[in-house]
Amino acid sequence: MIVCVSVVGHQNNPLYIQSFTDADDALKLHHIVHCSLDVIEERVNNPKKSGTTLNEAFLGLLYPTVNYKVYGYLTNTKVKFILVTTDLDVRDTDVRSFFRKFHAAYVDAVSNPFHVPGKKITSRTFAQTVSNIVGSYGLN
Amino acid sequence: MAPVGPRSGDAIFSSIDRVNAELFMLTYGAIVRQLLTDLEEVEEVNKQLDQMGYNIGIRLIDEFLAKSGVSRCVDFKETAEMIAKVGFKMFLGVTASVSSWEADGTCCSIILEDNPLVDFVELPDTCQGLYYCNVLSGVIRGALEMVSMKTEVTWTRDVLRGDDAYELQVKLLKQVAEEYPYKDDE
Repeated sequence: MIVCVSVVGHQNNPLYIQSFTDADDALKLHHIVHCSLDVIEERVNNPKKSGTTLNEAFLGLLYPTVNYKVYGYLTNTKVKFILVTTDLDVRDTDVRSFFRKFHAAYVDAVSNPFHVPGKKITSRTFAQTVSNIVGSYGLN
Repeated sequence: MAPVGPRSGDAIFSSIDRVNAELFMLTYGAIVRQLLTDLEEVEEVNKQLDQMGYNIGIRLIDEFLAKSGVSRCVDFKETAEMIAKVGFKMFLGVTASVSSWEADGTCCSIILEDNPLVDFVELPDTCQGLYYCNVLSGVIRGALEMVSMKTEVTWTRDVLRGDDAYELQVKLLKQVAEEYPYKDDE
């Protein structure tokens, strides 16, 4: 079950954060997202020597906490997408396709001439599309 | 050389040079953004977009007549059909439809199902009175004025404001007779 998605800009400024459960504290989710940014920095600055290419957008599982798993995705413009989920078994392909659709929705939102890059994403269409993507996650 | 007969909108559209739709839409968005920054008043921006459209329209009509080869329209009904079917198809690549004719044949609505200018656009809360596509109304007004028709073009439905389609109301105010600068008896 996806708990939260977040978009963080290249200066680590939050651009969009949306939680999908009422049960959890929004602040706790903010903290989790914030901590995962450190992990991303670490991954980006010290690439693993095991053969993964430097241009890989999907960062994979960033770190598992007690209840949650956090996945990351880095675009070429250093904008990061964070996904927090409570699923115990998560298929890699599902998460990758989620991030692909999320990336497409993000690009549409940013193409709005009234969107200021670096400011929060206020597009209602984007929020709607993200809810749809989350809703259809894992159903296939 | 025999004159070229009138060609359909599709035929002309496929034979002329085209530009990337995203580039077009981003350029237009940048124009609107800049006008908003410069003028700050939404009403002023609407007027300016209309004026820009007017300036485009008075020049566009020649291009339209040259490329499409249409003959003189018999009445305003035919003119409106021509604008919707050939004009919009040729320049924007979308087909519009004409409807809601008034009884006297001087007022109609042109309906656009989709509009390449507004892909991805969402109006922010500070600009709710903005007619984002106002340049199109100016273009129609300018083009028709060059063929001796004074019209008034307004937006009745706009998707960016929550309606389901784009609808332009075109009202013919009067047909201006051709004026010659010389008096007949000189």
